[in-house]
Amino acid sequence: MRGDSDGLIVIKFSDVSLIYPNSTTTVLENLNLEITEGELVLVIGPTGSGKSSLLRLINGLVPHHTGGILAGDITVDGISTRDVKPGGLAHLIGIVGQNPLNGFVADTVEEELAFAMEALNLPHETMRKRVEEVLDSISLTQLRSRSIATLSGGEQQRVAIASALVMHPKVLVLDEPTSALDPIAAEEVLSILHRLVHDLSLTIIIAEHKLERVIGFADRIIHINGDGQTMVGTAEEIMAVSNIAPPIVHLARALGLDEVALSVRHMRRMTQELRDSTPIHRVKTKPASTLPVIEIENLSLAYGTKIALNSISATIFDNEIVAIMGRNGAGKSSLLRSIAGINELEHGQVLVHGLKPKDLHRKIRRESIGYIPQEPSDLLYCQSVTKECEVADRDNELTTGTTHALLTQLVPGIALHRHPRDLSEGQRLGLALSVVLSANPKILILDEPTRGLDYEAKKTLTRILIEFASIFNRAVILATHDVELVAELATRTIFIADGDIVADGPTLDVLLSSPAFAPQVAKVMSPQPWLRVRDVLDAIGGRTQSC
Amino acid sequence: MKKISLHPLTWPICSIAIAISVVRLNTPLFAIVSVGVVGFIVFTQREDAPWGKSFDWSLKVALWILIIRIFIGVSIGLPIPGTTLFTLPRIPLPDWMPGIRIGGAVTLERVSSALGEGVIICAIIVIFSAAASLTSPHRLLRVLPIYVYEFGVTVVIATSVLPQLVSSVARIRMAQRLRGQQTKGFASYRRLAIPLLEESLARSLDLAAAMDSRGYGVNRKRSRYRPISWRMSDSAVVACAGIVMALS
Repeated sequence: MRGDSDGLIVIKFSDVSLIYPNSTTTVLENLNLEITEGELVLVIGPTGSGKSSLLRLINGLVPHHTGGILAGDITVDGISTRDVKPGGLAHLIGIVGQNPLNGFVADTVEEELAFAMEALNLPHETMRKRVEEVLDSISLTQLRSRSIATLSGGEQQRVAIASALVMHPKVLVLDEPTSALDPIAAEEVLSILHRLVHDLSLTIIIAEHKLERVIGFADRIIHINGDGQTMVGTAEEIMAVSNIAPPIVHLARALGLDEVALSVRHMRRMTQELRDSTPIHRVKTKPASTLPVIEIENLSLAYGTKIALNSISATIFDNEIVAIMGRNGAGKSSLLRSIAGINELEHGQVLVHGLKPKDLHRKIRRESIGYIPQEPSDLLYCQSVTKECEVADRDNELTTGTTHALLTQLVPGIALHRHPRDLSEGQRLGLALSVVLSANPKILILDEPTRGLDYEAKKTLTRILIEFASIFNRAVILATHDVELVAELATRTIFIADGDIVADGPTLDVLLSSPAFAPQVAKVMSPQPWLRVRDVLDAIGGRTQSC
Repeated sequence: MKKISLHPLTWPICSIAIAISVVRLNTPLFAIVSVGVVGFIVFTQREDAPWGKSFDWSLKVALWILIIRIFIGVSIGLPIPGTTLFTLPRIPLPDWMPGIRIGGAVTLERVSSALGEGVIICAIIVIFSAAASLTSPHRLLRVLPIYVYEFGVTVVIATSVLPQLVSSVARIRMAQRLRGQQTKGFASYRRLAIPLLEESLARSLDLAAAMDSRGYGVNRKRSRYRPISWRMSDSAVVACAGIVMALS
């Protein structure tokens, strides 16, 4: 078992406390931690709890780059981050940021890989050799001369990892490496990391919200609470007590099992009896309404020579929650934008309540279509939460305070004087949602709403969307990579690949038909058609206690 | 037309040479011709990269400057005698401001001189932005000497922010149009500016942090993976611009 004290210690935190100026909460308090060679450590915690700070402490970006008061000492391979600037640790630590695109310096993949080596003045021959090595080991050879701007999200992430690996670092630090990726690309990135740990005994530290993706790889977990308290332990130890947990752990708890399983294989063994003893039980779904809201007919769209959508037809009805899934670049956003009326349509038409969305403006638009873009902050432009709410009230001719009331209902406890930028991801999404919902739109469109959201925020979002769809009888359409979210809330799933609809049907059928897109509970419970912990409990009825 | 790959300093040097010739000759005709030539080069040679689009923006900005310049040139300033086109009502100014007048007779000479000056100012803006849209800021950074480390970082941040701003503007405008906001007029600029500034600031900090942690500027010396070399084609292009400057 790794994580014991017998390995070579690579990273050592001694009595580390961190506090940012103008802040009343401590991020970390007296953290003592030793990470040994070849360990994969997962950092978890709610948004804004300081996961990124912890990662950036390792190479000294905090506090050298960000400010903040640091007590205690962090050493990496015996070098204290007090003594050297982040650049001085570049040969030891590779760091991959949340959005790798923001950190790229060169134009092409090959030059990007060479950048850090050039900065350290390595000889030409060494550079050539290392670039070739890394291109092979991360399977990037095909992409070597591609322009960085044309890479997909998964490819960017791999290039970022590769450009850290060319330095032959001892430690690799990744901040939410899979949050923007579809399940298949995420799987690719994680299997590379897994291999690096096992083949090269690289030490890897990852922060990630989507635990269902990474938990199986983690040796140890650092759980940050946000108030300075941290828990460090093996994955099993932390998962036994943590409130942040993947569905598989929630399932084990709900079933009252004595131990938590972290892999589908393990969990299947523990629930064998339960699956077999219950007859195949299909969860009943509410029949969808027959009132069409959005009619899409033969919609085609192309950017230059690249076909984004290829003659798509679909009808979306009242009170449906439709999830649009597919790989990065499959055409999800293009479809959403066409429904919202931003893109010029090449062929075909889109009608929202019989109107062309392109012709809607101002108040009529707000009342017809609510749209939350990938960056919810694009919608916000005021200096404080209060002002943002007031503007929404004025725009929609509502009595003052209506939007604010809506906001407190959706996401309670937001400080009103704060700047929208300073809110957590979840709070900002909540604010954007209440601004959009205050106009009472007939349909709601969300593009990748769960990027960077923690489980708590996702739960809130799920509740809001289900209420909006069922109470007000409105249609919700969302594009997402998050299968667990889809399983929780969508009534219908449309799967897009290369601009075509390849599957369209009830969420249950679409998700179960593809192993890569099946949620954890479904994988554990297969062949039983259950997607959520709730479905399992409903199906087995009162037998929970006896398990 | 085939795209030729040039040294990142070639176009900036050329644009300086052409801008100097425009100023030295001081004739609107030459300014217009050079904008035409530069525009042709940009539209055939630029890459499909974010900074490539900065040229279109500079054209719009230049047009605005031209309009403002003509308006001010016609309505404020010294009278130039000549053919009177029309007469604006003159705003009386106190005695202690002799020589300045607002309004009055608008002569053909006055319009043409304002137009001429405006064209030259705009030409210079367009010529420099052409160099910006033809040159990858990343490659430009790679040829900068390492001893300008701090300055170099500033240059990277500045150059990568500007073109990315252009693409962010489109995205934010789209989002706000979907919120049912007007995307024209003065108020819309305020709504655009705030998210835009915040985003570019955050992005620049990310970039700076990434460069720092990858060891940029740690060593005084810096090796080259694929050295960017100065070739014959670069000399030829720069020589052409140099001849134009010498002849002006």
